[in-house]
Amino acid sequence: MRVPLTLRLGALVLATTGFYTYVGQMVPQKEVQPPQETSLKGDMTTADMVKVGREIMEGKGLCLTCHTIGKTGALRFPDLDGVDARAKSRVPGLNDVEYFAQSMYEPTAYIVPGFPPAMPPINKPPIGLTDQEILCVIAYLQTLGGTPTVTLQTKHHYNSGTAAATPAPSATPPGVSPGGTQPEAPLKGEKR
Amino acid sequence: MNRAMNRKVLLLLGPIAGIVMFVAVVWTAKVFVGHYEYREPYRPPAATADATPRAEGLAAEKADADSKARAKPYAEAEYRTFPVVGSRVAIWAVAQLHLLFAAFVLAVPIFAFIVEAIGYKTGDPRYDRLAHEFTKLLSVSFSLTATFGAFLTFMLIILFPKFTNYLMSVFSPTFLPYVLLFFGEAFFLYTYYYGWGKFHPLVHLGLGLGLNLVGTAIMMIANAWLTFMMSPRGISDTGAVLSVWDAVFNYTWMPINVHRFIANIAFGGSVAAAYAAFKFLQAETDEDRAHYDWMGYIGNFVAISAFLPLPFAGYWLAKEIYAFSQTLGLTMMGGAFSWLFIIQAVLIGNLFLAANYYLWLGMGRVEGVQPLQKFIKYLLIGIALCFMVWATPRSIIATVSEVRAMGGSAHPVLGYLGVMSAKNTAVNILILTTFMSFLLYRRTGKVAAVSWARTGHAAQLTIFAATALFVIFLGVYGYFVEATVRIKLSVPQVLSVLFAMVSITAVDVFLFRGARKTGEVRWGRIPVISQYVLIFIAVTFTWLMGLMGYVRSGLRQHWHVYGVIRDQSADAFTPTLGFATKVVSATVLMFFLLIGVVFWITNLHDRPDFEARTKARRREGSGGVSPEFAVETAGEHRPTS
Repeated sequence: MRVPLTLRLGALVLATTGFYTYVGQMVPQKEVQPPQETSLKGDMTTADMVKVGREIMEGKGLCLTCHTIGKTGALRFPDLDGVDARAKSRVPGLNDVEYFAQSMYEPTAYIVPGFPPAMPPINKPPIGLTDQEILCVIAYLQTLGGTPTVTLQTKHHYNSGTAAATPAPSATPPGVSPGGTQPEAPLKGEKR
Repeated sequence: MNRAMNRKVLLLLGPIAGIVMFVAVVWTAKVFVGHYEYREPYRPPAATADATPRAEGLAAEKADADSKARAKPYAEAEYRTFPVVGSRVAIWAVAQLHLLFAAFVLAVPIFAFIVEAIGYKTGDPRYDRLAHEFTKLLSVSFSLTATFGAFLTFMLIILFPKFTNYLMSVFSPTFLPYVLLFFGEAFFLYTYYYGWGKFHPLVHLGLGLGLNLVGTAIMMIANAWLTFMMSPRGISDTGAVLSVWDAVFNYTWMPINVHRFIANIAFGGSVAAAYAAFKFLQAETDEDRAHYDWMGYIGNFVAISAFLPLPFAGYWLAKEIYAFSQTLGLTMMGGAFSWLFIIQAVLIGNLFLAANYYLWLGMGRVEGVQPLQKFIKYLLIGIALCFMVWATPRSIIATVSEVRAMGGSAHPVLGYLGVMSAKNTAVNILILTTFMSFLLYRRTGKVAAVSWARTGHAAQLTIFAATALFVIFLGVYGYFVEATVRIKLSVPQVLSVLFAMVSITAVDVFLFRGARKTGEVRWGRIPVISQYVLIFIAVTFTWLMGLMGYVRSGLRQHWHVYGVIRDQSADAFTPTLGFATKVVSATVLMFFLLIGVVFWITNLHDRPDFEARTKARRREGSGGVSPEFAVETAGEHRPTS
């Protein structure tokens, strides 16, 4: 019995779309929910902020879409492992808190050589972290190669403080004058 | 005698039947009016009505509800829901169908115009007939495009009123030109179609040119709206309009214009080739088979020729997306949508394989093709290897133990193939290989007769080999340099492939000028499976368009206008790729169902008239097909020119 042409063509179209639908089911399935507003309590400890900061980096902040922690090789964006140790002395005149704040509020102010000027301002849409959320991220970043010191009351240049107004205990390294223009040679694989 | 009597009876019965029907209609009307006319119901006087507590309670409730409804202030709805599938899927399906038909309606005039121009230049009437055959598909498709466009507009207004209102406020100056251009499109399309053979050829070509210009302008206006949603410009942080022109000329507008223009040609070519395949499979004469084989070949040639430069337009679009927002770019390539590009690799790999397979099958049409067929296996190996590299993911889906055994989510060896350096190299080699298939096909049945033939062949081979080596070298080099350098390596890769394609074609044109023929092209002599391959290519193209339409739109994730107007609806989340592919498949199936209707309606044009068929059936009943009908239908069955 000869199958009518329309049926043969219909079967071909169905089989082809069916195959591509099957391929679509074979890849990882992840539903991405819109970021939820993080409710931060005023009495959060630094340890709490570290935890929240990590969550923000993985979720709403989208940080780990580009950055890695503990990877080497030909990276597209700087790896964050041990970043606090470098942040304390990377830009003369900025301690680690000011450096991290500048990285997020004004990311093109300093670009780590070898990497593209690709980071968007984190306090503006589409990411749009609040000042307090950014402080939590800074708290987490400080744990990568250092000790977290920030609290929700910490002031820096971008949240109505002035540059290094509330320096973290890990202050500007000796011998670096504020406003100096000679940056330290970057470490390979560093962020930003 | 009997016949005359019968006629008299009929003449008498006619007025009687008329009178009876009139009486019946009047009576029916009276009965209906009598039954359904509104009559005041009987109500007892107020004093005698029962004032039970229940009746009083009900009356009080009703009065309360009425007063609340009257006191409610008017509030503009932000979102409305669509039953069963939800608002997003409903809009998605309608927009996709509109875009598929629009792409087809924009593409067909482009190559109909080119084919007609070739026919005018060469004086070969086959081209004119082919162009007309393509154009026949347009009329019904144009109506469907407009219908889906109106449907989409209503759906946007109903389901997303606030957001639609915002878009209208930004782009209101573009709407009137859009409508006027639509009138222009209708004018040019119908005069182009119905005026076939009625005007001087140059006037007719002018109408075709007008149709293409107006169609492209319509596409560019619509592109401004959708690209603005992805890469807004010309507005303040709060969304207030600063410059409409800047809103139109946003980051991704021009790349999308170019990408869509090329992709529409590829898509339109593939659907027209599918139509030719459908007609080939229906054909009953060698003449028809030869014609539709040729039509399918031209349609596919157009599709693949447009498809080859498409990845380059895609690079430009991706570059502009990154330039607008690195976050957006990284969401596309490294975030939620990264696995979508593995699905895309499967689709494009299939397209390349199918297109090459069709070309290799087509070589069988030409006598004396054997010397060239030995190269096919090498091309196949090249294509298969590139396909495998392109479809290799960076991170593999694996169990915890497998991840531990591999030492991470990336395979220790294959993981290196999952990065852009390898993928860019694979796609460029894939394009080069398909281009070589075309060249092989082009030279079947002929031998270069120029004195420098050997040097010409050597030059072509050298350019091809040098380009392939250069592309592979840059791909490997990319593993050893910093990100800033690596990103830029794709540009010389692309440029070298483009250079190879242009220069080899240029050499080929001169090389085969006055070539000696070794065999004739026997149109229609091609295995039937080739026609199913053409339909497979059309379905794959359509599915690919659906998928890429999803990533372009879905990239905004929970934003209506990226970074400016947030999606607050229940559908603000980004669905899984599995769900997205199901929606794409459903839309593709709907499209092919509708395109089947387009083919059927277009086919009606070639069917014999009803009267002729009825006559023939009567004569068949009284002994065989009349020779008159056989001649009539044979003449009508042939596609008109």
